[in-house]
Amino acid sequence: MAFIATSVGTFGYPTPPRKKRLSLLSAARWLAVAVALPMLASPASAEKLTIWSGWPDLAPFYKRVGDQLKAKYPDLEISVEAIALREHEKRLALSLPSGAAGDVIEMEVEAARYLEAGLIPEPPASIVDFVKANYDMTRVKTATYDGKIYGVPLFQGQGALFYNTDMFAKAGLNSPPKTMAEYTAYAQKLVQRDASGAPTVSGWSLRLSGGGSGIAEKYWTILYNFGGTLLEEKGGKWRAAYANEAGRNALKQYLDNVVSYRTVSPEMKADAEAFELGQTAMFIRESWVIGDVAKKAPTLKYATAPLPKGTLMVPVDLYVPNKGPKSQIAWDFVQKANEPENLLWLLENTAWVPNRKGLDYSAILGKIPQLGAFVNTPADHVFFTVPAISPASEILTRLAARLEKAFTDKSLAGNDAAIDAFLKSAAEESDKILAREDLLAK
Amino acid sequence: MRSKPKWLFPVLALVPVLGLYACLRVYPIAETLRLSLFKWNIISRRKPFVGLDNFVELMSDPLFLEAIFNTTVVAFGVLVITIPVGLALAALINGRQGLRRSGFYETSIFLPHVVSLVPAAMAWKWIFDARLGPLNAFIGWFGIPAQSWLFDPVLSIVCLIVLCSWQSIGYAVLIFLVGLKNVPEALYEAARLDGASPFQAFRYVAIPLLKPVMLYVSVITLISSYNIYAQAFVLASDVQGAPGHLVRVLVLDMLENSFRNYRVGYAAAEAVVLLVIVLVLTGAQFRLFRDRSRA
Repeated sequence: MAFIATSVGTFGYPTPPRKKRLSLLSAARWLAVAVALPMLASPASAEKLTIWSGWPDLAPFYKRVGDQLKAKYPDLEISVEAIALREHEKRLALSLPSGAAGDVIEMEVEAARYLEAGLIPEPPASIVDFVKANYDMTRVKTATYDGKIYGVPLFQGQGALFYNTDMFAKAGLNSPPKTMAEYTAYAQKLVQRDASGAPTVSGWSLRLSGGGSGIAEKYWTILYNFGGTLLEEKGGKWRAAYANEAGRNALKQYLDNVVSYRTVSPEMKADAEAFELGQTAMFIRESWVIGDVAKKAPTLKYATAPLPKGTLMVPVDLYVPNKGPKSQIAWDFVQKANEPENLLWLLENTAWVPNRKGLDYSAILGKIPQLGAFVNTPADHVFFTVPAISPASEILTRLAARLEKAFTDKSLAGNDAAIDAFLKSAAEESDKILAREDLLAK
Repeated sequence: MRSKPKWLFPVLALVPVLGLYACLRVYPIAETLRLSLFKWNIISRRKPFVGLDNFVELMSDPLFLEAIFNTTVVAFGVLVITIPVGLALAALINGRQGLRRSGFYETSIFLPHVVSLVPAAMAWKWIFDARLGPLNAFIGWFGIPAQSWLFDPVLSIVCLIVLCSWQSIGYAVLIFLVGLKNVPEALYEAARLDGASPFQAFRYVAIPLLKPVMLYVSVITLISSYNIYAQAFVLASDVQGAPGHLVRVLVLDMLENSFRNYRVGYAAAEAVVLLVIVLVLTGAQFRLFRDRSRA
């Protein structure tokens, strides 16, 4: 019997028993079954939708939308991956070309590059109709390429003045400044100093340092309120438009406040942090500060006001970068996020301003009056945005590097000729970048 | 039956390692060299060949020139601090070997090297804070006015050098200690019999024998200092826009060009320049130490 049980080898010799090998094989089989069991146990229809955001404070919003979508897709799993904006931009650059991006992604003006490269598919016709019916088309520019709509606007960043009402009252100021000249005059009245004359509480916290393009964006806002702009379009191409009187006035305002009147200094705490700590009387920022103040300085007495002429507006749009069976769920998610109820929740809980038309903000404004400067802007208030051209970021970043040095350059203070020379040189650099990309207007 | 050649097994044993090395080291370097000759925006399929145009543009790019200057100042600043301080600390610790707390000294000096970089940089950011930082409080005791450490263009580079040196000294001390322990006791004994003081024994016996170790530490320090990024980024960044003066260093400029400006070919050209600088400096260090040892 033992001989029968032993198999015969190639040359007629009996091969050794396979008992050990067989047991190893069967163990491997059991292991494979054990690994596969959890997968078999989950429902066949389970889908995972990944949301990529560049704003960590939006994570609860997306989770809420995902929970609502489960009414339609009960087995849907939502994964919200919200990280810092600059890191988000990097992961988009690395993943979109390889088709490895999230199922729903946020993009600002940088979407232009990906749309131009054909990396974002067109949405279904129903989504295009939804956008056309519910959004002001001037706010859909960044999501449009070659006349076609590719994304759905969600919210926008826009600036307004935040001011400490206690400090204003103490300085005898009853209303916010209405012209850019008044901003400097107010800052001089509001600044608090120590015995040596050094500012301890800044009159007006300006963005004076730090990397990236933020410095140039803030300068652009002030420039616009002096009647200028950073880049102007002519026949589909662009050129630098800040080496002029408006550009000079905007830069002079920084120099007046930093060098001449010392209402602020670079080493002071700045921005929302300074405002929340009572270390600045006023500053210009986006609406998210309202949510931040509510968390970090709930007793702070402050108000907001629109800027004199207009503000830089940065729309954030939602895109579905992948085609396939999941794309329909992804578009459903996008549409669900843009339902009025969710957009009002977004405004109330994060203070980001929704883009959709016809929303009734009255109930929220009753609770958070500071939002008024963002949602009830005067009819002639202008929203301008960074052009959807590929070198926009580089132009802003390089200008920011120059401005950071200029803001504290004593040789520029009170020297119009030196300021003009500085702006001319910076504008030449901006034009050079546009020319390199064949985008320079003549 | 012919026996297998003796070299076959070592070669086969080396193949996996060499394969990994080729994939993870050689290929990326070769690809970076190739990319530096193209104009590419990371997302487009179009990748026109531009020859040396990226390098020509670099030579007149003020941000790149600023980055290369800052990086070089920081790298040599760290080198100049790390080698003598590291050597001195290693000598002091070596002199206390076997005594109480010698392990404590070794550990406390090495600790900064293993501490996570970002929290360490955040801690230093607080130390350098112009208004609330302990450094300004300390110099205030000596009547020195408070300084804007992170906002002054010169002082912010000094801060970066201090931070990087603090991190690299621990590693240098560790390597120097290994070198010092390997110096034969008999040589010190002979020096002592010849009337040498402990300092003279260290200067004329230990230091010449430590030259290969010094070469290693200086090469590693210089290379890692040319690659700094996170330290500069953290010292100048803040989520709420209350940042410091951004010391532009080469790696930061490369990242900005790659992922903010979408100029991957241009950033690759910067990487090639960095590679050449590091290679030249490493070669110079080898030559310097070799010539001296021959002399």
